[in-house]
Amino acid sequence: MSQNRNKLIILFIGNIANAIVHKILEKAINNKEITDKYRKETINSFDKAKEYREKINPKNTRLPDKDVQNVKSKVVNKVKAELKLRISKGYEGIDLSLVEELVDKYLKETSVI
Amino acid sequence: MDQIYIPKNRMGFNIGSHVIIKLLEQEKPIEKPYFYNVSSIEPVKLKLIDDIFKIINNITSYDNIIITGSFIDLGFNFEDIDILIISEKGLDTTNIEKKIESSLKIKNHIINFNKKTFDEALSTDPLWRLMLSKCISKHRLKPIPKKRINYKILDLHLLKSKPLIDNFDYLNGKEKYKLIRNLIAIKLFLTAKKVTNKEINKEINNIFGINVEKIKNNLLDKNLFIKKYKNVYNWTFNEIMKYTKNEPKQK
Repeated sequence: MSQNRNKLIILFIGNIANAIVHKILEKAINNKEITDKYRKETINSFDKAKEYREKINPKNTRLPDKDVQNVKSKVVNKVKAELKLRISKGYEGIDLSLVEELVDKYLKETSVI
Repeated sequence: MDQIYIPKNRMGFNIGSHVIIKLLEQEKPIEKPYFYNVSSIEPVKLKLIDDIFKIINNITSYDNIIITGSFIDLGFNFEDIDILIISEKGLDTTNIEKKIESSLKIKNHIINFNKKTFDEALSTDPLWRLMLSKCISKHRLKPIPKKRINYKILDLHLLKSKPLIDNFDYLNGKEKYKLIRNLIAIKLFLTAKKVTNKEINKEINNIFGINVEKIKNNLLDKNLFIKKYKNVYNWTFNEIMKYTKNEPKQK
């Protein structure tokens, strides 16, 4: 059961991080009309993250402090790693200062913190 | 034989002359839409398309309406109807979706573009090119604009295929196929090949050695597949990043 919970937390972290990277890259494009077009062909990472979150206890209240610390630091690291990889390859316009703020926002929306 | 009565002094009509009686207004036949790579479609679907055109016609003005997606594939294995409405004014798509659903009892998904955004999407987004590679439209389509590599847009789209790696065990066959198709569409776009369903499925078969039906039926061998998938994903990502050196200037 604990192993299953850990696996779900890992999946949650991966998907929520992907959703945040997506959001920051959208802002870097600066073409709302294009990025706003809904493409249902692909899976929405944020929806997936919410699905996993619903399977992690406690479901409706914030996670225990030790989980919060673990989840938050892993999400921040994952998002920064993805963005820094792009910056190292010459991608322009990525705003790293958005990371902490968006991580907090998304974790609140999924009742992690 | 029927008889008609007209004033007796009407020139050129003698009593007993044979005439033709014809209605001045006739019911309009179904207007023939334009087909693009659709070799065959069920008559019932054509009737639905005509009804959709009429409903939209009654609600709003537009430049074109395009029906695409799995609805126009043969058979009835579709979830909803994808409808693009090209119009200069912004539309309340939710309202139109509701009207179509209440009238035809069929789920539909409307996307509204203006001409400029539509051209932009077609030149930079492989999936929109894919959508237009097989479609039915109310009016004739303009030629698809020349492709243009915008690394930021392609990277954003590519990112959508990343969850397959971590979520492999939790996705069904159709979800996996959509993520693979997205990746391969971007790869084909980068390598200057045509982005059509046929080409994508051929490329999937070439790279992974798997029939598309096997993917849709969720019969992939995880270990064999994920290794190749990661390679193709990383290759595609690196190719996109090569374009960071010549970013198009924003107008």
